[in-house]
Amino acid sequence: MSLPALIAIGLGFALTAYAVLAGADFGAGILDLISGHSPEQRSALARTIGPLWEANHVWLIFSITILFSAFPTGFAALGTVLLAPFTLAVMAIVVRGAAFGLRTEAAGRQARSAKLLGWAFGAGSIAAPLLFGASAAALAQVSSSAHGATTVSSLPWTGLFAAIVGLLAVSLCAHLAATFVTYRLKDTGQTALAHRFRRRGLQTGTAVLALSLLALLTAAWKAPALWHRLSTAALPLLVTGVLATILSLYALARRRYLLARGAAMLTAGAIIWGWLIAQSPRLIGTRLTIHTAAATHPALTAIAIAGAAVLITVLPAFYLLYILFAHPSPEITQ
Amino acid sequence: MTALAPVALGAVSHLTAGRGQMGTSLSFHLFFAVLGVGLPLMMLIAEGMHLRTGDPVWRALARRWSKVFAILFAVGAASGTIISFELGLLWPRFMAFAGGIIGLPFSLEGAAFFLEAVFVGIYLYGWDRLSPRLHWLSGFPIALASAASAFFIVTANAWMNVPRGFQFVHGRVSHVNVLAAMFNPAWATETAHMVLGAYLATTFGVAAVYAVGMLRGRRDAYHRKAITVALSVAAIIAPLQLGVGDLLGRTVAQHQPATLAAIEGVTHTESGAGLNLGGIELPGHATTILNVKVPNLLSLLAYDKPNAAVRGLDTFPKADRTPLAWATRLAFIGMVGIGTGLVLLGLWYWLRRRRNGPGPEDRLTLMALAGAGPAAFLANELGWLVSEFGRQPWVVYGVFRTSNAITTASGLGATFTGFTLLYIGLSAVTFWGVRRVSTGTPELPSNAIVSVA
Repeated sequence: MSLPALIAIGLGFALTAYAVLAGADFGAGILDLISGHSPEQRSALARTIGPLWEANHVWLIFSITILFSAFPTGFAALGTVLLAPFTLAVMAIVVRGAAFGLRTEAAGRQARSAKLLGWAFGAGSIAAPLLFGASAAALAQVSSSAHGATTVSSLPWTGLFAAIVGLLAVSLCAHLAATFVTYRLKDTGQTALAHRFRRRGLQTGTAVLALSLLALLTAAWKAPALWHRLSTAALPLLVTGVLATILSLYALARRRYLLARGAAMLTAGAIIWGWLIAQSPRLIGTRLTIHTAAATHPALTAIAIAGAAVLITVLPAFYLLYILFAHPSPEITQ
Repeated sequence: MTALAPVALGAVSHLTAGRGQMGTSLSFHLFFAVLGVGLPLMMLIAEGMHLRTGDPVWRALARRWSKVFAILFAVGAASGTIISFELGLLWPRFMAFAGGIIGLPFSLEGAAFFLEAVFVGIYLYGWDRLSPRLHWLSGFPIALASAASAFFIVTANAWMNVPRGFQFVHGRVSHVNVLAAMFNPAWATETAHMVLGAYLATTFGVAAVYAVGMLRGRRDAYHRKAITVALSVAAIIAPLQLGVGDLLGRTVAQHQPATLAAIEGVTHTESGAGLNLGGIELPGHATTILNVKVPNLLSLLAYDKPNAAVRGLDTFPKADRTPLAWATRLAFIGMVGIGTGLVLLGLWYWLRRRRNGPGPEDRLTLMALAGAGPAAFLANELGWLVSEFGRQPWVVYGVFRTSNAITTASGLGATFTGFTLLYIGLSAVTFWGVRRVSTGTPELPSNAIVSVA
């Protein structure tokens, strides 16, 4: 396997980790917004993501640094064409992160500030996956065609297909969060609360299923080139994604919460890799591929080694973090 | 500097809007980055003191600081994300050129940030899950990783000042050596200066907060301990910072002659150049104002020879000199002036402190400390401006011009306005949040407050 391909697969792995883990953090913001300011639901969500969300967020930074070190001209082209959606997405990430941090640490019992910060946390949590999903869809649309544009001057990120994929990303995030929280709550005796999140999981899972089918239909209709790639090279992933969503719904219905959580993560992974396969080896347009946009060989070697070293150090630390906070906290004594 | 004023937005150029946005983003992030490096060290010291002495005041300080740190880390991680995106959104042509050369330190910074974020989660949420000793130990990776992050990022800035490890012929990058790029001649002095600057600003910032508390009448063990621990660390860092600053000046003298001339206000080439104290160049004039010159000192400091020649700004082609020479000079004078003031204030405090007794608590000392905190942060911002303004018109000194780096996408006026408003809002809510968690002495067992350390 060539070095650029190896790094691209690593990048895909990092993006998947971001989608699955930070996706659930976005989802927590979305569920928080529709919780109707219920303090029990909010605290269950905040406790689930509290210790984890900062670490999950770093997968995005890590992906960005790998992208610009290994594929500098690809990064330049993406940054130029996606100026507007990425600017809005990064603003949303900032607003939601700051709002969540402030609400946790400072709002206390001040109902009005907690409400305002909660609103900002939720709105940012919807906007970021919506924009990322729309950007990815638009990228796939312009990059999948056999004889599409060699250089892309603007992306159809506000088009119908992009909008549907954006909404799919939003509902997927909410579904991930709902399955995470339900699983975490199952042993705490808070049956009523677990029940409410189970219902959220069923609702959002249904939305994921409906929107992914709708996205495929729209692709077949609006983006035939992309549909062709999806229904050939990416077909196994497509089938996996749909089956995993159904499995997640089934597991929630049967109260098999660990299975539901796993199936939801599998859905997210299948969607990300379906997108990557439909795209590959192109980064944007038909001219910039992972080979034409790659940095020089010594730079790629260094990035590959550094990337591997990063994962070797980070993965055990991640494991430690998740193990430590896997179960709801004991009653706080102080 | 005009780029930072969002008033005349309709009139600013594409490049100015881009530079303004990057400048606002970085100066905002720098504040959080500095505290992100410095506060973990303070938390570790306070928590370690609690483990050793069992004094609940230390634990109260550590917990209070960790709450402030939680807010600052959330905002700082977010503003750092903005910058990683802006590199590509604002400067795609620079990144297309430089990404493959200085990507290594950025990726390593990713690793450090990962470890930091993981242990921040463990530390902030682990007070009741880990044993006191284990909890204290979980703070060490935070302090180390945040300093490592600063180190990696500043090696990239050092590379922009003294680029090495590649060849750039006919617009194509070749012969890349990522290690030579990362460990360019400026890496050691620039990174040391930044990390020490972060510790120094944090310590004086902490001292300032508690000095204000004392001025408002809260003269208790809690406030005294906080000031003592902050100024103890400062007493170690401040002299080191003076020495490292001098070494960094030599690095600039050797590798960035045009920058040195702008920093030191050397208009015409001089042998045995004197050191200008003051001496601000008025834009559009050939003369300087408010100058006192110490003969031969600049030649001695920069090149170790009292009669060495220092190249003047006018020997460089007009296109290769910074158009912001006056601002560079002003920022430099401000930074060195504040740094010297901090050293003097530290000396004053420790000389007046009685052995094992409390430090000076008169109004004047407390007010000086209260002012020194913001000044120390200002010095960090000014130092960064010296690095950026002094390097212009280059984004990579002598190789790549800033004007060639800006994006071709339109709409920078809008994004600049948007981000400026976002930063104003973020500053306001962060200030609100930090004030809410940090005002007043926390409730402690009554004997803890009375026992004066």
